Amino acid sequence: MKNAQKSMQRIIVALFAFMMTALPAMAGQLNISAAASLKESINEMTEKYAATHPGTTFAKNFGASGALAGQIENGAPADLFISASTEWMDYLGKKNLIDAAGQKNFAYNLLVFAGTTSKTVKGMNDLTRLDKIAIGSPKSVPAGEYAMEAMKKSGLDQKLTGKLVMGKDVRECLTYAEMGEVEGSFVYRTDALQAKKAKILFTVPADLYSRVTYPMALTTTGAKNDDAKAFFTWLQGGEAKNILKKYGFELK
Amino acid sequence: MNLSPQDITAIGLSMKIAISATLLSLPFGFATAWIMVFRNFRGKLLLEVLVNLPLTLPPVVIGYFLLLLFGRHGWGGAALRAAGVEFIFTWKAAVVASATVGFPLLVRSIRLGMESIDRQLLQASRSLGATWYDTLATVVLPLSFRGMIAGSSLMFARSLGEFGATIIVAGNIPGLTQTIPLAIYDYASSPTGTSMALALCAVSVTLSIVILLLHEVIGRKLENGRGA
Amino acid sequence: MKLNINLEKKLGSFSLQVKTSVSGERIGIFGASGSGKSTLVHLIAGLMQPDAGELYLDDTCLYSRRKGINLTPEQRRIAIVFQQAMLFPHLGVKANLLYGYKRCKPQHRKIDPEALIEILNLRHLLLRGVSNLSGGEKQRVALGRAVLANPRLLIMDEPLSALDDSLRYQIIPYLRSVSEEFGIPYLFISHSITEMQLMTDQVLVIENGNLSGVSTPDELARTNMSQNPKGYLNLLRLTDPVMLEGLFHYPWGTGTLIVSYGKEEGESLFELSSRDIILFKKNPEAISARNLIECRVAEIFDSGGRKGVVLEAGNQKLVAEIVRTAAEELEISPGATVFAAVKATSFRRLG
Repeated sequence: MKNAQKSMQRIIVALFAFMMTALPAMAGQLNISAAASLKESINEMTEKYAATHPGTTFAKNFGASGALAGQIENGAPADLFISASTEWMDYLGKKNLIDAAGQKNFAYNLLVFAGTTSKTVKGMNDLTRLDKIAIGSPKSVPAGEYAMEAMKKSGLDQKLTGKLVMGKDVRECLTYAEMGEVEGSFVYRTDALQAKKAKILFTVPADLYSRVTYPMALTTTGAKNDDAKAFFTWLQGGEAKNILKKYGFELK
Repeated sequence: MNLSPQDITAIGLSMKIAISATLLSLPFGFATAWIMVFRNFRGKLLLEVLVNLPLTLPPVVIGYFLLLLFGRHGWGGAALRAAGVEFIFTWKAAVVASATVGFPLLVRSIRLGMESIDRQLLQASRSLGATWYDTLATVVLPLSFRGMIAGSSLMFARSLGEFGATIIVAGNIPGLTQTIPLAIYDYASSPTGTSMALALCAVSVTLSIVILLLHEVIGRKLENGRGA
Repeated sequence: MKLNINLEKKLGSFSLQVKTSVSGERIGIFGASGSGKSTLVHLIAGLMQPDAGELYLDDTCLYSRRKGINLTPEQRRIAIVFQQAMLFPHLGVKANLLYGYKRCKPQHRKIDPEALIEILNLRHLLLRGVSNLSGGEKQRVALGRAVLANPRLLIMDEPLSALDDSLRYQIIPYLRSVSEEFGIPYLFISHSITEMQLMTDQVLVIENGNLSGVSTPDELARTNMSQNPKGYLNLLRLTDPVMLEGLFHYPWGTGTLIVSYGKEEGESLFELSSRDIILFKKNPEAISARNLIECRVAEIFDSGGRKGVVLEAGNQKLVAEIVRTAAEELEISPGATVFAAVKATSFRRLG
């Protein structure tokens, strides 16, 4: 009986110690929800930051900005949100889920059409000759919304019904293009630069869509977190901007 | 409750794909059930496992296998392209996805019906001068109707709800392959789409209820018709 | 009709081996349950494959392992009437009847469907479905269906076993008359000796998968007399009785038989057990039994430990059953005169 009691005590002490060591780690974890197109750049940034700030770890959630906004609305843990369009940031702003006062623009991008097709595709009007085109679902993916905007402004949206494959985020669209499942996809220039097989066939004329803007803001929980605030500031600094430039994002 | 034109298209597409998948599968389902009930051969166990496999596999896995088989680099895909047939990311792929996923349900129901056919009826038929295929058409087939209807309803209902395999091999293409589940998924990804998603969900439930009612009514009619 | 059978079949621990040659129009196959008679019949019809051997029907080879011949059931033109009728539930009576007829080649169609419908009394059933028919009606339709297929041979596999007694003996006349009218030979399978006596001229006796003998129904009845709880069942066709004091007086032989449970009009079939006949060496004069018949002993046979005594009265015959010691005591021998006493209640009317 005495031996059993002693073992129990040892286990409890061990658990407690473990919890103590675990807590500081949790205390320094930052939850980031960011647009899918920011995957590589944010990964490099958090790696760099973590190297110089050993107390901070990151849990990163990449996806379509609309889907991410929905998750945050439903209570998913997030300290920082970077969207690929102002629409979804404003959506959370209206619900008072972000620190709107501190909102900044993180980066800008260009919409391109990329694919593996051998057909001649030089501009928007050539799209009608294609069989299948992937775009992010306009209901939740900014890249898809921009693409839809461009198609409507070109008067092509009716003509392209039945050709549009909905992707759940811009990266899925890129994959479709890479795999050849579609002849081309509307992706960001930065995504196309990552592609191995798909080539940029043309850049979508800027007058056809609103500027691709990446607003970023701390969430209301994040605004109370010093580590989050520190990282938020770092993201506006030179090191972060260099990484963005490296991946092809525009800064103004 | 409002449904956009795209939603109406999705509903129409769902019906078209479900009906096509069911009609396509019926002959194969019937043949498979017949082989499993009335024939014995080595490797029959393997056939049984294969037929039931889609029931236990995650639909996305099935979709992925279909993609491998019929996609650009699959040997099935190469053959289709040689014949000038478009398959991946068309409604045909959606039909095949639904058919594959629902096949075990169809076969199961038909089997049950066939197993209840008294073997001596088939012996009677043969002894009266009918060949085995004559017996199949004039005795086995009519007596399997109930099982075929039951299986068809199940398969139809399953097709209406098919998502995983469909999105992989047919993609989410409004007007072409975006069925009701895919449309709901699209809405569900967006925080502003809740009410639209609910509207489509209501349609989905209504369709299922209608199918189940029809299934019962037809089943009863068949029973009564026989009793006269 | 001639059947040359030489068949072997092994089913688990049961093994069937039958080698025989029979000729006739009405042949019975007799055996207990599990004796193999059903298996034999399935082999003949082509519904089961033998392991080895040969089968010839009227010089046509239906099966020969040596020659590699194995006709499919539909090629053999052997129709079957099953114990459970087996009418197609999804077809009406008329469609069932014509099922085999439609599949019969025109050159083989000898039987007129209308004639058959009349003989089997099916006219009023033609437009009905099959699930609400009575047992007897179902078997008549099944019989009609099998006959209309114009088979070379009709196999009746215990067709009466599922029917109750009164029905059974109503159907038997149909079975025989249809076969005779249209000239179709049959194999009649049953475990009932009475049915054999009424339906067949020869009987193949199957026991444990082997043919234990070929005999006549009468011999079969005699052999089984001691084992059968009812002994040897005498079958009597009696007609047009005269009613006296509530009893039926039927003319029989040179005299009358007095029966308690008869039928006022027409012909009736009665069975009388050999054990219900008491023999007297001398005329007992006063006796409660209403029937006292003076007979001559025609023959005595052994059966088990008993003696069967074949009695003649005029042109009629009866078989009585007594123990060996009784035969010795009464000094019963062929040619002797005895008096047979039978109670009026001992006659059981079959139909």
